[in-house]
Amino acid sequence: MGPSVCVYLWRVFYCCRGEDYYRWGTTKKGIDVSTKSNTAVLSTLLEQNRTAIIEEWKRTVMDSLGHKYPGVLSMDELHRHADMKLSAFSAYFSTCGEALVTVTKESTLGRMVYELSTDHDMRGIKPVDTALYLVALKKAISHRLALLLPNSQEQLVDLLEPLFGLMDQLTLLSFDAYSTTREKVIAQQSQSLMELSTPVIVLWNNVLLLPLVGVIDTIRARQFTERMLEAITRHEGIVTIIDVTGVPVFDTGVARHIMKAVDAAQLLGSKVVMTGISPEGAQTLTKLGISFANVTSRVSLRAGVAEALKLVGRRIELINGAN
Amino acid sequence: MKGNVLQHLAVATATDIVRARSVARQEAARIGFGLADQTRLATAVSELARNVLKYASEGSCLIHEDSTATEMRLHITMEDHGPGIPDVAAAMKDGYSTGGGMGAGLPGTRRLVDKFEIESFPGLTRVTISMVRKRQ
Repeated sequence: MGPSVCVYLWRVFYCCRGEDYYRWGTTKKGIDVSTKSNTAVLSTLLEQNRTAIIEEWKRTVMDSLGHKYPGVLSMDELHRHADMKLSAFSAYFSTCGEALVTVTKESTLGRMVYELSTDHDMRGIKPVDTALYLVALKKAISHRLALLLPNSQEQLVDLLEPLFGLMDQLTLLSFDAYSTTREKVIAQQSQSLMELSTPVIVLWNNVLLLPLVGVIDTIRARQFTERMLEAITRHEGIVTIIDVTGVPVFDTGVARHIMKAVDAAQLLGSKVVMTGISPEGAQTLTKLGISFANVTSRVSLRAGVAEALKLVGRRIELINGAN
Repeated sequence: MKGNVLQHLAVATATDIVRARSVARQEAARIGFGLADQTRLATAVSELARNVLKYASEGSCLIHEDSTATEMRLHITMEDHGPGIPDVAAAMKDGYSTGGGMGAGLPGTRRLVDKFEIESFPGLTRVTISMVRKRQ
């Protein structure tokens, strides 16, 4: 048992003896706290009981999360977090009057919770466990307060109210932080997916292959058109194969995008061979009244490649002796 | 609205178009429509949803069926509260477009399905398409 804990027990004992906490505060600190608001009292109590709260909180967190994330959470780090939080709490409560101030993302506390959530997310700690992290802190503080004020239910309730108000706000903020991080990740992923999904492949000298996969919207259409045109210019593409095997639905919107790409390619002097339209797709396109009249079309990519090679005066044939 | 409602979807983003058409395709497959019909229906839904997004920015897609023992009947109602189509008769002709499209969307959609109903005035545009097949 450390010296600070002894001091605590003594304090608890001392304040249990008195009729209420205020008298203790008055005599001990020599300041008149009887006019202080609940939040101010809370602020002082948090400062005074810091070590005990931190110890209890660390124990709870380690008991419930330690085995889940071995080696991820360290005692030192928990201590640092708790210490920072408690300082911020008491600072927060000391600035509050009777009413709680809303914690925004930009405030010290808000930033702290945001950083905690983001940090946890990066280290693979689940959101629900981060919430537990905060809930455990709430528990530790309320335990401590209950110990300090065993005979004064009313005052305890008065003190717990702003505490719970703050903790609830922080829990909500931590969820907000999580979803923000997630959204960022999703946005980045769709960005990188887009980068990946429209490669232009140089199949042979002057023969380019553009495999289209997935949903073709305006942004992707612009992107693959740009890349294709750039590749045609750079590699002097005589033939460009556009493979649409991976396009799920061929409606007029998609057709229009592809037609524009085809027109642009032809302006640069490249012939276009389209491959991979499914039987259903072909039927649907004709019903829609879309005809790719100026485009050579082949049923499969294999037939398309053969056609493209023919257009540049090449063909694939067996090597001597092979069959 | 005819028969049972199978799905009611919002159409407000490009992702909703993808969802609406894949849900329509799934429902068609579940009822027993063939692959070609599924593709047609999905394409028709895609066309209509794209129109909703382009001209009214949001709307809804209702998938309902009133199949009988002998017939499979699937209907899709696409509704929005946008400005409406100024000239419905013209919009149903090939090559007419006010939005810079190919002008093949509505007439093409009509050719894709068995029944096509449209009503449009400022504040409400409602298109119902139906696909009906005899059970094998």
